[in-house]
Amino acid sequence: MAVALLRSNLMICEGTGCAASQAHDIRAALTAEIKRRSLDGEVRLVQTGCRGFCAMGPIVMIYPEGIFYCQVKPEDVPLLVEETLLKGRIVERLAYQEPLSHKAIPHYSEIPFYTKQKRIALRNCGMIDPEDIREYIARDGYAALTKVLGEMSRQQVLDEVKASGLRGRGGAGFPTGLKWEFTSRAPGEPKYVVCNADEGDPGAFMDRSIIEGDPHSLIEGMTIAGYAIGARQGYIYCRAEYPLAVKRLQVAIAQGREYGLLGENILGSGFSFDLIVKEGAGAFVCGEETALLSSIEGRRGEPRPRPPFPAVAGLWAKPTNLNNVKSYAMSPQIILNGAAWFAAIGSPRSPGTAIFALTGKVKNTGLVEVPMGITLGEIIYDIGGGILGGRQFKAVQTGGPLGGCIPPQHLNVKVDFDSLRDVGAVMGSGGMIVVDEDTCMVEFAKFFLTFATAESCGKCIPCRAGGKRMLDILTRICAGQGRREDIARIRDIAEGMESSALCALGQLTPGPVMAALRYFEHEFIAHIEDRRCPAGSCKELTPARCLNACPAGVDVPAYVSLAAEGRFAEALAVHRERNPFALVCGRVCPAFCEQRCRRGDIDAPVAIRSIKRFMADHELATPWIPVKLQPARAEKVAVVGAGPAGLTAALRLAQNGYPVTVYEALPIAGGMMVVGIPEYRLPRDILNQEIDNIRRTGVEILCNHALGRDFTLDELFDRQGVKAVVLAIGAHRSLHLGIPGEDRAGVIPGIDFLREVALGNPPDIRGKRVAVIGGGNVAVDAARTAWRLGAGEVHIVYRRTRPDMPAYPEEIEAAHEEGAVFHFLAAPLRVLGPAKVTALEIQHQKLTEFDASGRRRPVPVEGAVLTLAIDILIPAIGQETDKLCVLNAGLETNRNSTLKVGPSLATTRPGVFAAGDAVSGPASVIEAVAHGNRVAKEVEVYLRTGRREKADIPLEAHLPPLTWDMQQYSEVPRLRLPWIPVATRRDGFREVELSAPEKDIRAECRRCLRCDLEWSQFQQGVQNVRVQGIT
Amino acid sequence: MPKLMSIDDFKKLREDSRRDIAVRLKTGTKIIVGMGTCGIAAGARDTMQAILSELKKRKIDAHVTTVGCIGMCAYEPLVDIEQAEGSRITYGPVKPAMIPRLIEEHLTNGRVVQEWVVGRLPRA
Amino acid sequence: MSEVRITPDDTPDLKQLDPLLDEYRGQKGAVIPVLQKAQKIYGYLPPEVLRRIAAGMRVPLSKIYGVATFYSQFYLTRRGRHIVRQCDGTACHVRGAGKIVERMEQELGIRAGQTTADYRVTCEVVYCLGSCGLAPVAVVNDQTIGKLAPEKMTTILRSLE
Repeated sequence: MAVALLRSNLMICEGTGCAASQAHDIRAALTAEIKRRSLDGEVRLVQTGCRGFCAMGPIVMIYPEGIFYCQVKPEDVPLLVEETLLKGRIVERLAYQEPLSHKAIPHYSEIPFYTKQKRIALRNCGMIDPEDIREYIARDGYAALTKVLGEMSRQQVLDEVKASGLRGRGGAGFPTGLKWEFTSRAPGEPKYVVCNADEGDPGAFMDRSIIEGDPHSLIEGMTIAGYAIGARQGYIYCRAEYPLAVKRLQVAIAQGREYGLLGENILGSGFSFDLIVKEGAGAFVCGEETALLSSIEGRRGEPRPRPPFPAVAGLWAKPTNLNNVKSYAMSPQIILNGAAWFAAIGSPRSPGTAIFALTGKVKNTGLVEVPMGITLGEIIYDIGGGILGGRQFKAVQTGGPLGGCIPPQHLNVKVDFDSLRDVGAVMGSGGMIVVDEDTCMVEFAKFFLTFATAESCGKCIPCRAGGKRMLDILTRICAGQGRREDIARIRDIAEGMESSALCALGQLTPGPVMAALRYFEHEFIAHIEDRRCPAGSCKELTPARCLNACPAGVDVPAYVSLAAEGRFAEALAVHRERNPFALVCGRVCPAFCEQRCRRGDIDAPVAIRSIKRFMADHELATPWIPVKLQPARAEKVAVVGAGPAGLTAALRLAQNGYPVTVYEALPIAGGMMVVGIPEYRLPRDILNQEIDNIRRTGVEILCNHALGRDFTLDELFDRQGVKAVVLAIGAHRSLHLGIPGEDRAGVIPGIDFLREVALGNPPDIRGKRVAVIGGGNVAVDAARTAWRLGAGEVHIVYRRTRPDMPAYPEEIEAAHEEGAVFHFLAAPLRVLGPAKVTALEIQHQKLTEFDASGRRRPVPVEGAVLTLAIDILIPAIGQETDKLCVLNAGLETNRNSTLKVGPSLATTRPGVFAAGDAVSGPASVIEAVAHGNRVAKEVEVYLRTGRREKADIPLEAHLPPLTWDMQQYSEVPRLRLPWIPVATRRDGFREVELSAPEKDIRAECRRCLRCDLEWSQFQQGVQNVRVQGIT
Repeated sequence: MPKLMSIDDFKKLREDSRRDIAVRLKTGTKIIVGMGTCGIAAGARDTMQAILSELKKRKIDAHVTTVGCIGMCAYEPLVDIEQAEGSRITYGPVKPAMIPRLIEEHLTNGRVVQEWVVGRLPRA
Repeated sequence: MSEVRITPDDTPDLKQLDPLLDEYRGQKGAVIPVLQKAQKIYGYLPPEVLRRIAAGMRVPLSKIYGVATFYSQFYLTRRGRHIVRQCDGTACHVRGAGKIVERMEQELGIRAGQTTADYRVTCEVVYCLGSCGLAPVAVVNDQTIGKLAPEKMTTILRSLE
């Protein structure tokens, strides 16, 4: 031991995780630097086990200050020693940064990842040198053992563990104390204590961390169990994949023997106990207790029926107590602090803490120990920091490959044995794998099934054959070969396996599939019926993720590649096959394609929308005359509504030979594109160019013709002789706030406000104080429009927070630039004023539990009310379809006022179809276009066959050859289109976003990774394999 | 290491072991040594060594940390003592020979050694 | 650890098994540790070795073979000089392990579970190496490498001699 007292300890995490992140190099560099600075007499380096925050490794902690440095590199070491060890200053650069604010948090005790945790089993992990028994002893190690040996009878130990309510942490949750008592009472000698450290569940690594970071806690727990049960021999069955854990255990056992804490006559008490480490040899089924015991006995690790349970006839048919690492590691703390202490933590039926390995698409991956009963949302968002890259949380798989997935609507579920079971998942080994929208739940279920069937030992038929059959079905579904009856077959097989397989592996194998079916059946159906993989992950079904993500299925890689060569006209032609509104979508599309672009996984997505805009603008002077694809037909079709859905439907029908008339209620065509989207985002002349393209196919657009006011459906059918009608009437009615004073003068609903401005009748709001309520695009558009009309102040009042706003981020940013004042977590309470609006009363909100959308629900903060003096109030909390118009036309609506349609988009009246916002609720232009394409197809099927059935528009890839060297563009950053300065925006409605030079656009095109080519190679591979008869 | 033969043996070992990891445990006392360039030039390293061995000798639990230049170069080496109760006292210049008395008076007897004090800060 | 190289024509030197068999003689449940240590000596478990172990431990060969084929850790065929084990456990899977496996197979021209013709590399896909916090991970000759990408895998494979 050191001669002088040391003033500082540097703890270097060398768990497997940090070791993989070059922790050893850090230690070497620190050792050298400390020596060079002659600090070796004052400072000690301690190599510790895993501290849990693996994503941030390598981690170095410095005591006594409790400084936490993460992602330390060898070249950081001289600075670290100079600043922190010599001068006592914090190197902010190495401190943990709070992801949202980028604020450095240098102290361990303040890092959110740790503050919500309560560490019992992990209490020493990262705090001590696991290879030095004295460090364990210094932190009250073996104190419980001495208490047991000195003061407690066997029965008292059993009673204490029983009273604590500790349930088996291996996953099944059987009361540990009861198990100990069964074994202690079972006749037969000798008795054995066995630890299951065969942590085979993919995604779980807490047992490894405990053994690597604090092996003595396991040894002490097993020794106490041995004392209570009356065993003198224990076995630890550890996975062979964990070499460091095996080594640490062996070192710890040797030290235990050396100090007299293991072996004969421990501490002179007369009690003897010793341990043997058995290395597994790679078989997942050995996590099952009877299989594990077979394996220790040197046989094939096959399970056997229970009873008899191991407590009666276990290892070599003798009474055997088998627990998980965590259960043993927690028991010394229970003995030391008392059963009542433990029972008070967590939830009543699941006391204590649970350890989770939080992994997958979450920011802070690592090991966390939390009180039982904490909600899933708190683990994922507060500790885990939320989803990587700001994506959408889709599900979390708990309990490993035999567990189940939990969707966003259950983020409030309390995490304990029973509550998880209620939602169809299990606690299991504690793996918690978070997935986002990129994960296909069918493929995910297939993945687990592949694992489980590969690990089936083959002893019983339900598991061996049932798993295989189910896997065949899922494989087929993922390949787009699913059949309608498949889902029912899966359910049948699952039932058989659950009821008749020999061991837990077979019984639980269907679990993940059943959970996926329970919450994500729509994805199974999309694969089976539409041959689409919504997540864009099933290879056979996904030519490219961008193409798959586009509601209209526009072949993005093809037009991007053509644009890369300057072949803009051809590129545009590819685009128009699926979407006629390239000029529009080049400006206002939410670009679902970019959100899923694989380039985004590397640096940033290809700026697809900017490319689209350029190619469309480039061809502006060449009018598009859409080709006629079919000879002329006689059946007349009427389209009601000249928005993107209606116009697209009209175009497609006209291209296929039908005479089409579009009836538009407003004086101008374009629907929401003209009266919803302000001109500074989408100039009117640009929009009109695209509407004119559609007119060129012979489509007639009649403005000022409103359904119900100027004509009826009956008139269309009877007098005009139309054979089919497409209703694309949009959603143009503002939702009410439902608060007092809403009817005062000066309250203008958002969509009405935008419409009046677009029609040339802007209200005079010069110099006035305007408040907009809402967080969507209409709200932000209204705010930015109000500013352009000369409003004195513009406020945006939203009940949630900025990241929750549904409006496009760049629009929010622009509104902010233009001086809009945001009031977040603010809900309107009352509109005040004698007659006209004078003020808005706002109730401050706070976020609480999660709602069905996976966002935190805002609730009022009592008494926190403030008054905002305003002259104009613009509520923009959503729109709906004009229900009266629909009902008057003799059609039915859903509860949310959308039109009731079948799978073929047919309404309740024969010959009448519907599309766009009127069906989907308010959505984007591209979604409306997709609907327009589809409804046109449905109408055609109807007109030709009289049938109304769902028509299929398969995805297609054009696959132009690759013409550039990708390597050259690997470092090119994403292009960003310039915006005009804020100062020049206010004098009118000039377009804010500008385009870029052609060479920049073409370079941007070449950032594309051409996933479509990879897919085509894959398809050919599949073909070849099929030809050769391998599958 | 000889085998522990009894629970008393074990308790003794535990006391020793605790002292070895004292810097990781909570304590109410912090001793801060100025380690700026001028501090080191004035012999702060020796002062620090003296503090550490004195603490070890007296089995006193206190954390010893360092700080960069505080700007009173004339009084280096500077040593601050901060306790859970009471203000932060700055002593200087502190030579190794002064350490035994400083530790005994300030930490054991709870009396500030007035003649060496150069500053006093309310608790941060 | 001394490494024994075996070329296909070589017959393994069975004498090296003797100390091992002596060490475990008469111990209960010793089959698995003996096989593990034998594999450490020879790199895999050739038929001669299995026969010698069966005879030495007085256990039927069928039982030895049953154990050796049950556990995924035992290999009955010769392996490469370098072992690359790419994890496709759940955490790695959702973070793109599939793409890395593809790259590995492409680069080496073999399928997962196979060994290159020159015995340079054996590549395997395994389920969970317990380093999920760093997903995707691979273990290359017992060294864990985290936060992998296909490009990084190419570099690693090319560096193996």
